[in-house]
Amino acid sequence: MKRRGRGMACMWYPIGFTVSANPSAAVVKVNEDGTATLLTGTVETGQGSLTVLAQITAQELGIATDDVHVVSADTDATPMDTGPIASRTTYVTGNAARLAAEKAKEILFEVAAPMLGVKPNQLEARDHKILVKGYPQRNVHIGDVANHARVVMGQPPIGSASFNPATVALDPETGQGKPFGTYVYATQIAEVDVDDETGEVEVIRVVASHDCGTAINPMLVEAQIEGGIAMGIGFALQEEILFDNAGRQINPNLTNYIVPTALDMPEIEVDIVDSHDPTGPFGAKGVGEPTLVPTAAAILNAIHNAVGVRITSLPATAEKVLAAINAKRGQQPKRIAAG
Amino acid sequence: MEKKTTVAEKGAPLETVPEAGSMLRLPASAPLATRPIGVLVPEAGHQTPAVGQRAPRLDGRLHGLGQTKYIDDFYLPGMLYAKIKRAGIASARIISIDTKEAEAMPGVVAVVTGRDVPCNSFGPSLKDQPVLADTRVFHAGDGVAAVAAVTEQIATEALDKITVEYEPLTPVLDPLESLKLETPGLHAPNPNIYGHKVIKKGDVEKAFAESDHIFEGSYRTQMVEHVPLEPHATVATWDPNGRVTIYATLGRITLGRADVARTLGIPTSRVRIVATTVGGNFGGKNEITTEPVVALLSKKTGRPVKCTFTRAEEFASSTTRHPLIMDYKTGVTKDGRILARKIRLVLDGGAYCSWSETTLSKACILSAGPYNIENLYAEAFVVYTNKTMTGAMRGFGAPQVCFAYESHMDEIAAALNIDPLEIRLLNVFEEGSLSPTGQTLHSVVVKESLLRAARRFGWIEAQS
Repeated sequence: MKRRGRGMACMWYPIGFTVSANPSAAVVKVNEDGTATLLTGTVETGQGSLTVLAQITAQELGIATDDVHVVSADTDATPMDTGPIASRTTYVTGNAARLAAEKAKEILFEVAAPMLGVKPNQLEARDHKILVKGYPQRNVHIGDVANHARVVMGQPPIGSASFNPATVALDPETGQGKPFGTYVYATQIAEVDVDDETGEVEVIRVVASHDCGTAINPMLVEAQIEGGIAMGIGFALQEEILFDNAGRQINPNLTNYIVPTALDMPEIEVDIVDSHDPTGPFGAKGVGEPTLVPTAAAILNAIHNAVGVRITSLPATAEKVLAAINAKRGQQPKRIAAG
Repeated sequence: MEKKTTVAEKGAPLETVPEAGSMLRLPASAPLATRPIGVLVPEAGHQTPAVGQRAPRLDGRLHGLGQTKYIDDFYLPGMLYAKIKRAGIASARIISIDTKEAEAMPGVVAVVTGRDVPCNSFGPSLKDQPVLADTRVFHAGDGVAAVAAVTEQIATEALDKITVEYEPLTPVLDPLESLKLETPGLHAPNPNIYGHKVIKKGDVEKAFAESDHIFEGSYRTQMVEHVPLEPHATVATWDPNGRVTIYATLGRITLGRADVARTLGIPTSRVRIVATTVGGNFGGKNEITTEPVVALLSKKTGRPVKCTFTRAEEFASSTTRHPLIMDYKTGVTKDGRILARKIRLVLDGGAYCSWSETTLSKACILSAGPYNIENLYAEAFVVYTNKTMTGAMRGFGAPQVCFAYESHMDEIAAALNIDPLEIRLLNVFEEGSLSPTGQTLHSVVVKESLLRAARRFGWIEAQS
């Protein structure tokens, strides 16, 4: 019979490298049509990070996401980047992109100030315009300013910057120090059905409440969380590289190494916790890796809640769960219901 | 000067700002009614402010139309295909490698071995991994030779014609056996324990003595693969000036360029690395794998060369997730407050270091969980075994230790008859809490995430 259980797990996870320098550099050019080009040495590995970097750049310049063209991942053409690792792209590369955009914007402000008869610090960039703070009707289109900057002032609006999280090395004896710039937090609660005759576990529902600082793009945050949970389910229940006695893998294929598919996916409810990190770009931290961190723990706690067995080694395959259920039954004499 | 017409200007009245030079005719903001209807609710990607928008991905259209070009879609004129011979034995000395028969095969253009690699070692922290194994095999997925041929099939067939003579050695597969000091070092003279980390805070033994209850638990996790949809792939081509361009599924191109230059023995400025859209990384594509091999084959043949991993190579010859053996001991008060925790982690580092140092540090720092624990002793070791190398994988040890500390937390809660949510709320970090390394934490919302998830799930009433 299927028995339902629920389990929770919370976690913390750092953004960026442990102590070591992990800088990102970025270049932002504002074009005469009011669009911008971002040069970054990071690589799009499927998570949508280039879109997030475009949004950060666009926000700083007061333009829209689609107005930013991102050139990435070419060591000849793009500035150095530590890369899409350690959940650092939004936070570290994002900070670099924002700072580079800010520098380009400073040039735009210097150029626009005499055009609008004010000082640069009286200007802001918003809705594709450079406008006078408090007097939004006094404005110039950002493209006109960029063009004026190039052809009249001889000052192309290009900014470059880099960012590296502030850390303090750990004491080798005690491990005390400040290894990371910031951390994110999350809780996932899983609901599972465990078949106590077969040991099979089905994840029914996962509620995932994640902190990522400001969600630069909530849709991409949700996608990361859904993907992380898929990976977490595989880690919890299915996936394992097996070796023979001679140390050779025996299941190096997707027939015998089973990854979750769409049919294994539970109902996922994503909840983004209100949070703002003053050290991140527009308050953002990151979301890539932490999405998977609590999933297995929550599922395993739910299995215990459902059938009262604690599996202490992953993955909790049906065989393992059934063996634990049978072992527990063996300890308690079977009761045969009267009547 | 000509001025571009923008949407906002259409039919908008103009105002004049007299004090600022020639471009004085500026548009006032347009009344809403004059804007085309389509612009009233622009797509998220066209909206400002940009942050917070559910903007579609910049590459979404290409993906949707199946137009994204991955490495395996690349073809350069005259391109050859490379395949790598894998050792298939977990631990051995290489006596000899005979490639003559393979080289003589029609369609085979070049064969290389580890001896052709100018600097045959790499690694993000310890340079303990050969590009192609030349004297010693440390795991079954090690490459021992590579072939470039006019078709992928000929290259694959040529692998069988390469004869490697091994002196088999007894593999060390159990990380706990490797941890023992009497076990001979696999990478002699280096000891098998190639990384060690301690986090120490307060007085654990004293706090255990003051605790109402002591709980112990032991947890283990397995080795898993990243399983990206796109396997590792590389195309290399040289120009007449002696500069190599490598198209690769690499996440870290800056590091990759330095590693390729070092292994090839050429200046960094002569290496260009271009990463296309990578079809999934999850940490498995952070360092070079076969890029130097493909570059060498291209140099030797004077033709572009491509190498795409098979799924089996993806499993056996790229990095995997560290299996962990985790022992926890926790002292608590009778109402569930954690007073002390002692942790020992043993990481199975596999054949090579790769990103083990980072994984070791992160696992150790995070192992106590997001909890205020004044007395902590966490110790972590990473050891060599003759298994597939473990390296960077989404979470760097965190999913493993989270499984341990959260299983342990539920065991404590059950024994003390406290609700799992309550015991967590009692112990979790708050704004300004000190981390196990003594760092003052900011923007801490773990309590909020617990309560929000619990309400959403129905663990507790929504209004509370």
